Amino acid sequence: MRVSDYEIPDKLHYSKEHEWVRLEGKEAVVGITDYAQKQLHEIVYVEVQKEGSEVKQFQTMGTLESVKSVSDVYSPVTGKITKVNKELTDSPELLNEDPYEKGWLAKINLTDFKKDMEKLLTAQQYADYIKTKET
Amino acid sequence: MSKAERVTHLYQFHKQNAKIVEFAGFQMPIWYKGIIPEHMAVRTRVGIFDITHMGRVIISGAKSEAFLNYVITNDASVLTPLSAQYSVMCNESGGIKDDFVVSKLEQERFLMVYNAANREKDYQWLVQNAKAFEVKVEDVSDNIAMFAVQGPNAQPTLQKVADADLSKIERFKCGWTKLAGVDGFVSRTGYTGEDGFEVFVWNTPLADPESAIKVWNAIMKAGEEFGIEPCGLGARDTLRLEAGMCLYGNDIDETITPLEAGLGFVVKLKKDSFIGRDALSKQKAEGIKRKRVGLRMLEKGPSPRPQQEVWKDSKIGYVTSGTFSPLLECGIAMAYVGVEHAVEGGTVAVKVRDKDLKAEVVRFPFYDPTKYGYARQK
Repeated sequence: MRVSDYEIPDKLHYSKEHEWVRLEGKEAVVGITDYAQKQLHEIVYVEVQKEGSEVKQFQTMGTLESVKSVSDVYSPVTGKITKVNKELTDSPELLNEDPYEKGWLAKINLTDFKKDMEKLLTAQQYADYIKTKET
Repeated sequence: MSKAERVTHLYQFHKQNAKIVEFAGFQMPIWYKGIIPEHMAVRTRVGIFDITHMGRVIISGAKSEAFLNYVITNDASVLTPLSAQYSVMCNESGGIKDDFVVSKLEQERFLMVYNAANREKDYQWLVQNAKAFEVKVEDVSDNIAMFAVQGPNAQPTLQKVADADLSKIERFKCGWTKLAGVDGFVSRTGYTGEDGFEVFVWNTPLADPESAIKVWNAIMKAGEEFGIEPCGLGARDTLRLEAGMCLYGNDIDETITPLEAGLGFVVKLKKDSFIGRDALSKQKAEGIKRKRVGLRMLEKGPSPRPQQEVWKDSKIGYVTSGTFSPLLECGIAMAYVGVEHAVEGGTVAVKVRDKDLKAEVVRFPFYDPTKYGYARQK
Protein backbone atom coordinates (compact mmCIF):
# COMPACT_ATOMS: atom_id res chain seq x y z
CA MET A 1 0.00 0.00 0.00
CA ARG A 2 0.94 3.63 -0.19
CA VAL A 3 0.67 6.41 2.39
CA SER A 4 1.27 9.87 0.91
CA ASP A 5 4.72 9.49 -0.69
CA TYR A 6 5.68 6.25 0.99
CA GLU A 7 5.56 2.69 -0.28
CA ILE A 8 4.62 0.11 2.38
CA PRO A 9 4.65 -3.45 0.97
CA ASP A 10 1.79 -5.53 2.42
CA LYS A 11 3.66 -8.71 3.29
CA LEU A 12 6.43 -7.28 5.43
CA HIS A 13 6.58 -6.70 9.18
CA TYR A 14 7.61 -3.29 10.50
CA SER A 15 9.09 -1.62 13.54
CA LYS A 16 8.29 1.85 14.85
CA GLU A 17 11.92 2.72 14.20
CA HIS A 18 11.16 2.27 10.47
CA GLU A 19 12.83 -1.06 9.80
CA TRP A 20 11.17 -3.86 7.84
CA VAL A 21 11.43 -7.66 8.16
CA ARG A 22 10.82 -10.26 5.43
CA LEU A 23 10.70 -13.92 6.44
CA GLU A 24 12.69 -16.40 4.37
CA GLY A 25 12.34 -19.75 6.19
CA LYS A 26 14.28 -19.56 9.47
CA GLU A 27 15.93 -16.34 8.40
CA ALA A 28 14.75 -12.79 8.27
CA VAL A 29 15.89 -10.21 5.74
CA VAL A 30 15.87 -6.74 7.28
CA GLY A 31 16.18 -3.22 5.96
CA ILE A 32 14.87 0.31 6.37
CA THR A 33 11.52 1.49 5.05
CA ASP A 34 10.79 3.87 2.22
CA TYR A 35 9.73 6.42 4.84
CA ALA A 36 13.09 6.08 6.61
CA GLN A 37 15.16 6.46 3.45
CA LYS A 38 13.16 9.51 2.39
CA GLN A 39 13.72 11.14 5.79
CA LEU A 40 17.46 10.42 5.74
CA HIS A 41 17.83 11.23 2.02
CA GLU A 42 21.11 10.77 0.15
CA ILE A 43 22.66 8.00 2.21
CA VAL A 44 26.42 8.06 1.69
CA TYR A 45 27.66 5.47 4.17
CA VAL A 46 26.29 2.24 5.60
CA GLU A 47 27.77 0.25 8.47
CA VAL A 48 26.21 -2.97 9.79
CA GLN A 49 27.59 -5.23 12.53
CA LYS A 50 29.75 -8.09 11.30
CA GLU A 51 28.42 -11.43 10.13
CA GLY A 52 28.19 -13.73 13.14
CA SER A 53 27.20 -10.92 15.54
CA GLU A 54 24.29 -11.49 17.86
CA VAL A 55 21.65 -8.76 17.70
CA LYS A 56 18.70 -8.13 19.97
CA GLN A 57 15.34 -6.72 18.95
CA PHE A 58 15.35 -2.90 18.98
CA GLN A 59 19.05 -2.66 19.76
CA THR A 60 21.58 -1.02 17.49
CA MET A 61 22.73 -3.14 14.56
CA GLY A 62 24.44 -0.44 12.53
CA THR A 63 24.78 3.16 11.43
CA LEU A 64 23.62 5.09 8.39
CA GLU A 65 25.12 8.39 7.35
CA SER A 66 23.57 10.89 5.00
CA VAL A 67 25.51 13.96 3.87
CA LYS A 68 24.54 15.87 7.01
CA SER A 69 23.45 13.32 9.58
CA VAL A 70 24.27 10.09 11.38
CA SER A 71 21.51 7.67 12.43
CA ASP A 72 21.47 4.36 14.25
CA VAL A 73 19.68 1.39 12.73
CA TYR A 74 17.95 -0.94 15.18
CA SER A 75 17.47 -4.61 14.55
CA PRO A 76 13.74 -5.37 14.28
CA VAL A 77 14.39 -8.97 15.41
CA THR A 78 16.60 -11.04 17.74
CA GLY A 79 19.12 -13.47 16.28
CA LYS A 80 22.50 -13.87 14.63
CA ILE A 81 23.58 -11.94 11.53
CA THR A 82 24.39 -14.48 8.82
CA LYS A 83 24.90 -12.13 5.92
CA VAL A 84 25.48 -8.42 5.40
CA ASN A 85 24.68 -6.68 2.12
CA LYS A 86 28.21 -5.90 0.92
CA GLU A 87 27.00 -4.04 -2.14
CA LEU A 88 26.03 -1.16 0.13
CA THR A 89 29.70 -0.46 0.89
CA ASP A 90 30.32 0.84 -2.61
CA SER A 91 26.72 1.73 -3.47
CA PRO A 92 25.01 3.13 -0.35
CA GLU A 93 22.58 4.90 -2.69
CA LEU A 94 20.82 1.52 -3.17
CA LEU A 95 19.17 2.22 0.17
CA ASN A 96 17.51 5.27 -1.37
CA GLU A 97 16.83 3.76 -4.76
CA ASP A 98 15.44 0.39 -3.71
CA PRO A 99 14.97 0.13 0.08
CA TYR A 100 12.92 -3.10 0.02
CA GLU A 101 14.98 -5.14 -2.46
CA LYS A 102 18.55 -4.21 -3.43
CA GLY A 103 18.88 -2.01 -0.34
CA TRP A 104 18.41 -4.81 2.23
CA LEU A 105 20.82 -4.49 5.16
CA ALA A 106 21.29 -7.95 6.65
CA LYS A 107 20.01 -11.51 6.95
CA ILE A 108 19.41 -12.68 10.49
CA ASN A 109 19.00 -16.23 11.80
CA LEU A 110 15.99 -15.89 14.06
CA THR A 111 15.96 -16.90 17.72
CA ASP A 112 12.25 -16.64 18.43
CA PHE A 113 10.29 -14.84 15.76
CA LYS A 114 6.98 -15.42 17.51
CA LYS A 115 8.24 -13.31 20.37
CA ASP A 116 9.64 -10.64 18.00
CA MET A 117 6.27 -10.53 16.23
CA GLU A 118 4.50 -9.35 19.38
CA LYS A 119 6.26 -6.02 19.05
CA LEU A 120 6.23 -5.63 15.27
CA LEU A 121 3.57 -3.93 13.17
CA THR A 122 1.64 -5.18 10.16
CA ALA A 123 1.73 -3.06 7.00
CA GLN A 124 -1.66 -1.59 7.92
CA GLN A 125 -0.53 -0.75 11.46
CA TYR A 126 2.68 0.78 10.15
CA ALA A 127 0.73 2.79 7.58
CA ASP A 128 -1.48 4.17 10.35
CA TYR A 129 1.63 4.99 12.37
CA ILE A 130 3.17 6.87 9.41
CA LYS A 131 -0.05 8.85 9.02
CA THR A 132 0.34 10.14 12.58
CA LYS A 133 3.90 11.26 11.73
CA GLU A 134 2.74 13.12 8.68
CA THR A 135 0.28 15.41 10.43
CA MET B 1 3.94 34.83 16.36
CA SER B 2 6.27 32.41 18.13
CA LYS B 3 9.93 32.53 17.22
CA ALA B 4 9.99 29.22 15.40
CA GLU B 5 7.25 30.35 13.06
CA ARG B 6 9.20 33.06 11.29
CA VAL B 7 9.20 32.63 7.55
CA THR B 8 10.60 34.47 4.55
CA HIS B 9 8.87 35.95 1.50
CA LEU B 10 9.54 32.73 -0.40
CA TYR B 11 7.97 30.41 2.15
CA GLN B 12 5.23 29.16 -0.16
CA PHE B 13 7.86 28.23 -2.76
CA HIS B 14 9.97 26.45 -0.16
CA LYS B 15 7.00 24.61 1.30
CA GLN B 16 5.96 23.31 -2.09
CA ASN B 17 9.43 22.34 -3.25
CA ALA B 18 11.69 21.63 -0.29
CA LYS B 19 12.02 19.79 2.97
CA ILE B 20 11.66 22.43 5.66
CA VAL B 21 13.61 22.67 8.90
CA GLU B 22 13.74 25.20 11.68
CA PHE B 23 16.90 27.27 11.64
CA ALA B 24 17.53 30.27 13.92
CA GLY B 25 13.80 30.59 14.47
CA PHE B 26 12.95 30.48 10.77
CA GLN B 27 11.20 27.85 8.72
CA MET B 28 13.84 27.32 6.03
CA PRO B 29 14.45 24.87 3.17
CA ILE B 30 17.17 22.31 3.94
CA TRP B 31 17.05 20.79 0.49
CA TYR B 32 14.88 20.73 -2.63
CA LYS B 33 16.21 17.96 -4.91
CA GLY B 34 18.94 16.99 -2.48
CA ILE B 35 22.13 18.34 -0.98
CA ILE B 36 24.38 16.61 -3.51
CA PRO B 37 22.70 17.79 -6.76
CA GLU B 38 22.29 21.31 -5.33
CA HIS B 39 25.91 21.41 -4.21
CA MET B 40 27.12 20.27 -7.62
CA ALA B 41 24.89 22.80 -9.40
CA VAL B 42 26.71 25.60 -7.54
CA ARG B 43 30.18 24.12 -8.15
CA THR B 44 29.59 23.56 -11.86
CA ARG B 45 26.68 25.83 -12.96
CA VAL B 46 24.60 28.12 -10.75
CA GLY B 47 22.34 27.93 -7.71
CA ILE B 48 20.07 30.34 -5.84
CA PHE B 49 19.62 30.44 -2.05
CA ASP B 50 17.08 32.33 0.03
CA ILE B 51 19.16 33.93 2.80
CA THR B 52 16.55 36.41 3.97
CA HIS B 53 16.88 34.98 7.49
CA MET B 54 20.25 36.70 7.91
CA GLY B 55 20.55 39.86 10.03
CA ARG B 56 21.04 43.25 8.38
CA VAL B 57 21.74 46.63 9.93
CA ILE B 58 22.44 50.04 8.46
CA ILE B 59 25.01 52.05 10.38
CA SER B 60 24.96 55.74 9.53
CA GLY B 61 26.18 59.05 10.84
CA ALA B 62 29.27 61.23 10.88
CA LYS B 63 31.15 58.81 13.13
CA SER B 64 30.03 55.57 11.50
CA GLU B 65 33.49 54.68 10.22
CA ALA B 66 35.09 55.41 13.60
CA PHE B 67 32.40 53.36 15.32
CA LEU B 68 32.94 50.41 12.99
CA ASN B 69 36.67 50.58 13.53
CA TYR B 70 36.02 50.37 17.26
CA VAL B 71 33.68 47.33 17.18
CA ILE B 72 35.11 45.28 14.31
CA THR B 73 38.63 43.91 13.89
CA ASN B 74 39.11 44.75 10.21
CA ASP B 75 39.89 48.28 8.99
CA ALA B 76 36.71 49.95 7.71
CA SER B 77 38.66 53.02 6.61
CA VAL B 78 40.06 51.17 3.59
CA LEU B 79 36.54 50.75 2.20
CA THR B 80 35.59 52.99 -0.68
CA PRO B 81 31.90 53.55 -1.43
CA LEU B 82 30.31 50.40 -2.93
CA SER B 83 32.92 48.02 -1.64
CA ALA B 84 32.69 45.29 0.98
CA GLN B 85 34.90 43.45 3.43
CA TYR B 86 34.73 40.32 5.56
CA SER B 87 35.35 40.88 9.27
CA VAL B 88 34.63 39.70 12.77
CA MET B 89 33.81 41.51 15.97
CA CYS B 90 35.24 40.31 19.27
CA ASN B 91 34.55 40.55 22.95
CA GLU B 92 37.17 42.04 25.30
CA SER B 93 38.95 38.67 25.56
CA GLY B 94 39.33 38.48 21.80
CA GLY B 95 36.63 35.79 21.42
CA ILE B 96 34.55 36.10 18.27
CA LYS B 97 31.09 37.60 18.77
CA ASP B 98 30.24 37.07 15.11
CA ASP B 99 31.59 37.11 11.57
CA PHE B 100 29.95 39.16 8.83
CA VAL B 101 30.36 41.29 5.72
CA VAL B 102 30.33 45.09 5.89
CA SER B 103 29.54 47.06 2.76
CA LYS B 104 30.09 50.77 2.46
CA LEU B 105 27.02 52.17 0.72
CA GLU B 106 28.20 55.79 0.72
CA GLN B 107 30.25 58.11 2.94
CA GLU B 108 28.94 57.67 6.48
CA ARG B 109 26.55 54.84 5.62
CA PHE B 110 27.36 51.14 5.98
CA LEU B 111 25.41 47.89 5.65
CA MET B 112 26.37 44.98 7.89
CA VAL B 113 25.09 41.46 7.17
CA TYR B 114 25.52 38.92 9.96
CA ASN B 115 24.44 35.44 11.02
CA ALA B 116 20.75 34.68 11.52
CA ALA B 117 21.48 32.91 14.80
CA ASN B 118 23.10 36.09 16.17
CA ARG B 119 20.55 38.66 15.04
CA GLU B 120 19.46 39.82 18.48
CA LYS B 121 22.86 39.46 20.13
CA ASP B 122 24.68 41.45 17.43
CA TYR B 123 22.08 44.19 17.28
CA GLN B 124 22.24 44.65 21.05
CA TRP B 125 26.04 44.66 21.00
CA LEU B 126 26.15 47.27 18.24
CA VAL B 127 23.56 49.51 19.88
CA GLN B 128 25.26 49.28 23.26
CA ASN B 129 28.65 50.20 21.82
CA ALA B 130 27.23 52.91 19.57
CA LYS B 131 26.30 55.09 22.55
CA ALA B 132 29.71 56.74 22.64
CA PHE B 133 29.51 57.61 18.92
CA GLU B 134 27.22 59.82 16.87
CA VAL B 135 25.77 56.97 14.86
CA LYS B 136 22.45 55.39 14.14
CA VAL B 137 22.18 51.59 14.11
CA GLU B 138 19.05 50.54 12.30
CA ASP B 139 17.90 46.93 12.01
CA VAL B 140 16.60 46.62 8.45
CA SER B 141 16.45 42.80 8.45
CA ASP B 142 12.69 42.63 8.12
CA ASN B 143 12.54 45.14 5.29
CA ILE B 144 14.91 43.39 2.92
CA ALA B 145 14.74 40.04 1.15
CA MET B 146 18.12 38.54 0.38
CA PHE B 147 19.17 35.85 -2.07
CA ALA B 148 22.56 34.42 -3.00
CA VAL B 149 23.17 33.57 -6.65
CA GLN B 150 26.33 31.49 -6.74
CA GLY B 151 28.36 29.49 -9.20
CA PRO B 152 30.39 29.93 -12.39
CA ASN B 153 27.21 30.96 -14.24
CA ALA B 154 25.99 33.38 -11.57
CA GLN B 155 26.95 36.48 -13.55
CA PRO B 156 25.34 35.52 -16.89
CA THR B 157 22.23 34.42 -14.99
CA LEU B 158 21.86 37.56 -12.90
CA GLN B 159 22.81 39.86 -15.80
CA LYS B 160 19.63 38.82 -17.61
CA VAL B 161 17.53 40.47 -14.87
CA ALA B 162 19.87 43.32 -13.78
CA ASP B 163 20.05 46.76 -15.40
CA ALA B 164 23.58 47.49 -14.18
CA ASP B 165 26.59 46.01 -15.99
CA LEU B 166 27.60 43.27 -13.54
CA SER B 167 30.94 42.67 -15.23
CA LYS B 168 31.99 46.05 -13.76
CA ILE B 169 31.33 44.83 -10.21
CA GLU B 170 34.43 43.01 -9.06
CA ARG B 171 34.75 40.58 -6.18
CA PHE B 172 33.90 42.34 -2.87
CA LYS B 173 32.38 45.29 -4.74
CA CYS B 174 28.70 46.25 -4.78
CA GLY B 175 26.22 48.21 -6.82
CA TRP B 176 22.66 49.46 -7.03
CA THR B 177 20.58 48.04 -9.82
CA LYS B 178 17.05 47.33 -10.90
CA LEU B 179 16.36 43.59 -10.81
CA ALA B 180 13.37 42.56 -12.90
CA GLY B 181 12.25 46.19 -12.53
CA VAL B 182 12.54 46.14 -8.74
CA ASP B 183 14.97 48.31 -6.72
CA GLY B 184 17.87 46.17 -5.66
CA PHE B 185 21.43 46.09 -4.46
CA VAL B 186 24.02 43.44 -5.24
CA SER B 187 27.40 42.58 -3.77
CA ARG B 188 29.86 40.20 -5.37
CA THR B 189 30.20 38.09 -2.25
CA GLY B 190 29.03 34.71 -1.00
CA TYR B 191 29.44 31.72 1.24
CA THR B 192 30.20 28.97 -1.25
CA GLY B 193 33.73 29.66 -2.48
CA GLU B 194 32.32 30.28 -5.95
CA ASP B 195 31.95 33.50 -7.89
CA GLY B 196 28.52 34.98 -7.36
CA PHE B 197 26.36 37.69 -5.94
CA GLU B 198 24.30 38.39 -2.89
CA VAL B 199 21.14 40.14 -3.96
CA PHE B 200 19.18 42.51 -1.74
CA VAL B 201 15.59 43.39 -2.60
CA TRP B 202 15.10 46.69 -0.82
CA ASN B 203 11.85 47.84 0.85
CA THR B 204 10.09 44.53 0.71
CA PRO B 205 8.50 43.73 4.08
CA LEU B 206 7.17 40.22 4.64
CA ALA B 207 3.61 41.54 4.58
CA ASP B 208 4.15 42.63 0.99
CA PRO B 209 6.32 39.90 -0.51
CA GLU B 210 5.46 40.44 -4.18
CA SER B 211 8.64 42.20 -5.30
CA ALA B 212 10.86 39.61 -3.56
CA ILE B 213 8.94 36.78 -5.22
CA LYS B 214 9.18 38.57 -8.56
CA VAL B 215 12.97 38.87 -8.33
CA TRP B 216 13.38 35.22 -7.21
CA ASN B 217 11.19 33.97 -10.07
CA ALA B 218 12.99 36.16 -12.60
CA ILE B 219 16.39 34.79 -11.51
CA MET B 220 15.07 31.21 -11.60
CA LYS B 221 13.79 31.80 -15.15
CA ALA B 222 16.99 33.53 -16.25
CA GLY B 223 19.04 30.63 -14.89
CA GLU B 224 17.06 27.92 -16.66
CA GLU B 225 19.41 27.86 -19.63
CA PHE B 226 22.35 27.45 -17.23
CA GLY B 227 20.76 24.66 -15.22
CA ILE B 228 20.02 26.71 -12.10
CA GLU B 229 18.87 24.90 -8.95
CA PRO B 230 17.23 26.37 -5.87
CA CYS B 231 19.51 25.38 -2.99
CA GLY B 232 18.80 24.85 0.68
CA LEU B 233 20.74 25.22 3.89
CA GLY B 234 22.19 21.71 3.49
CA ALA B 235 24.12 22.58 0.34
CA ARG B 236 24.99 26.00 1.80
CA ASP B 237 26.76 24.20 4.64
CA THR B 238 28.61 21.63 2.52
CA LEU B 239 29.69 24.34 0.05
CA ARG B 240 31.08 26.66 2.72
CA LEU B 241 32.86 23.75 4.40
CA GLU B 242 34.56 22.66 1.17
CA ALA B 243 35.59 26.30 0.69
CA GLY B 244 37.09 26.37 4.19
CA MET B 245 34.74 29.08 5.49
CA CYS B 246 33.75 29.16 9.16
CA LEU B 247 30.27 28.53 10.48
CA TYR B 248 29.52 30.57 13.58
CA GLY B 249 28.52 28.33 16.48
CA ASN B 250 30.56 25.43 15.05
CA ASP B 251 33.99 26.64 14.00
CA ILE B 252 34.04 29.99 15.76
CA ASP B 253 32.39 31.35 18.89
CA GLU B 254 33.12 33.62 21.85
CA THR B 255 35.79 31.25 23.22
CA ILE B 256 37.83 31.22 20.00
CA THR B 257 39.88 34.12 18.71
CA PRO B 258 40.23 35.07 15.03
CA LEU B 259 43.96 34.28 15.27
CA GLU B 260 43.20 30.70 16.31
CA ALA B 261 40.55 30.45 13.61
CA GLY B 262 43.00 31.40 10.87
CA LEU B 263 41.22 34.72 10.38
CA GLY B 264 44.25 36.87 11.24
CA PHE B 265 43.84 38.61 7.87
CA VAL B 266 40.81 40.47 9.26
CA VAL B 267 42.57 41.55 12.46
CA LYS B 268 44.26 44.92 12.00
CA LEU B 269 46.27 45.40 15.18
CA LYS B 270 47.71 48.66 13.83
CA LYS B 271 44.30 50.33 14.21
CA ASP B 272 44.05 52.75 17.17
CA SER B 273 41.88 50.75 19.48
CA PHE B 274 39.09 48.27 19.06
CA ILE B 275 37.26 45.83 21.28
CA GLY B 276 39.49 42.82 21.90
CA ARG B 277 42.65 44.49 20.63
CA ASP B 278 44.68 44.10 23.81
CA ALA B 279 43.85 40.41 24.15
CA LEU B 280 44.59 39.77 20.47
CA SER B 281 47.89 41.72 20.57
CA LYS B 282 48.96 39.69 23.56
CA GLN B 283 47.98 36.42 21.92
CA LYS B 284 49.80 37.37 18.74
CA ALA B 285 52.96 38.20 20.69
CA GLU B 286 52.83 35.00 22.74
CA GLY B 287 51.75 32.80 19.85
CA ILE B 288 48.58 30.77 19.54
CA LYS B 289 48.30 27.31 21.09
CA ARG B 290 45.63 25.81 18.84
CA LYS B 291 44.67 26.40 15.27
CA ARG B 292 41.83 25.62 12.87
CA VAL B 293 42.88 23.13 10.22
CA GLY B 294 41.27 21.17 7.40
CA LEU B 295 41.16 17.38 7.62
CA ARG B 296 40.61 15.18 4.61
CA MET B 297 39.77 11.55 5.31
CA LEU B 298 42.21 9.17 3.67
CA GLU B 299 39.93 6.13 3.51
CA LYS B 300 36.38 5.47 2.45
CA GLY B 301 34.13 5.21 5.48
CA PRO B 302 32.13 7.34 7.85
CA SER B 303 32.44 11.11 7.69
CA PRO B 304 33.88 13.11 10.58
CA ARG B 305 31.34 15.05 12.65
CA PRO B 306 31.46 17.89 15.20
CA GLN B 307 32.85 17.05 18.67
CA GLN B 308 34.75 13.97 17.55
CA GLU B 309 38.27 13.80 18.95
CA VAL B 310 41.42 14.18 16.86
CA TRP B 311 44.38 12.06 17.92
CA LYS B 312 48.06 11.69 17.23
CA ASP B 313 49.31 9.28 19.92
CA SER B 314 47.25 11.33 22.38
CA LYS B 315 44.30 13.66 21.97
CA ILE B 316 45.40 16.77 20.06
CA GLY B 317 42.07 18.42 19.27
CA TYR B 318 38.48 18.11 18.18
CA VAL B 319 36.30 18.41 15.08
CA THR B 320 34.07 21.50 14.79
CA SER B 321 32.44 20.81 11.40
CA GLY B 322 32.41 17.67 9.33
CA THR B 323 30.55 16.32 6.37
CA PHE B 324 30.66 14.10 3.34
CA SER B 325 32.09 16.26 0.55
CA PRO B 326 29.88 15.94 -2.54
CA LEU B 327 32.68 17.18 -4.79
CA LEU B 328 35.58 15.16 -3.38
CA GLU B 329 33.36 12.18 -2.42
CA CYS B 330 35.09 11.68 0.91
CA GLY B 331 34.76 12.91 4.46
CA ILE B 332 36.13 16.37 5.25
CA ALA B 333 36.30 18.35 8.48
CA MET B 334 37.43 21.46 10.22
CA ALA B 335 39.17 20.86 13.53
CA TYR B 336 41.14 22.71 16.17
CA VAL B 337 44.44 21.02 16.93
CA GLY B 338 47.53 21.94 18.90
CA VAL B 339 49.55 24.36 16.79
CA GLU B 340 52.48 21.91 16.59
CA HIS B 341 50.16 19.51 14.73
CA ALA B 342 48.74 22.13 12.36
CA VAL B 343 51.16 21.12 9.64
CA GLU B 344 49.98 20.53 6.09
CA GLY B 345 50.51 16.94 5.01
CA GLY B 346 50.56 15.59 8.56
CA THR B 347 48.53 12.49 9.34
CA VAL B 348 46.13 12.32 12.28
CA ALA B 349 43.27 10.08 13.41
CA VAL B 350 39.65 11.06 13.95
CA LYS B 351 37.75 8.97 16.51
CA VAL B 352 34.47 8.01 14.89
CA ARG B 353 32.49 5.71 17.19
CA ASP B 354 34.76 2.67 17.73
CA LYS B 355 37.16 3.46 14.88
CA ASP B 356 40.30 5.51 14.37
CA LEU B 357 40.01 7.00 10.90
CA LYS B 358 43.10 8.33 9.19
CA ALA B 359 43.02 11.90 7.94
CA GLU B 360 45.47 14.29 6.37
CA VAL B 361 45.91 17.90 7.48
CA VAL B 362 45.19 20.00 4.37
CA ARG B 363 44.96 23.65 3.43
CA PHE B 364 41.72 25.48 2.61
CA PRO B 365 39.88 25.28 0.32
CA PHE B 366 39.59 21.51 0.17
CA TYR B 367 39.21 21.54 -3.63
CA ASP B 368 41.79 22.51 -6.24
CA PRO B 369 41.31 26.31 -6.54
CA THR B 370 42.49 26.30 -10.14
CA LYS B 371 39.57 24.01 -11.04
CA TYR B 372 36.77 25.15 -8.69
CA GLY B 373 35.84 28.32 -6.84
CA TYR B 374 35.97 31.99 -7.78
CA ALA B 375 39.64 31.91 -8.80
CA ARG B 376 39.28 28.96 -11.17
CA GLN B 377 41.06 29.17 -14.50
CA LYS B 378 38.34 29.55 -17.09
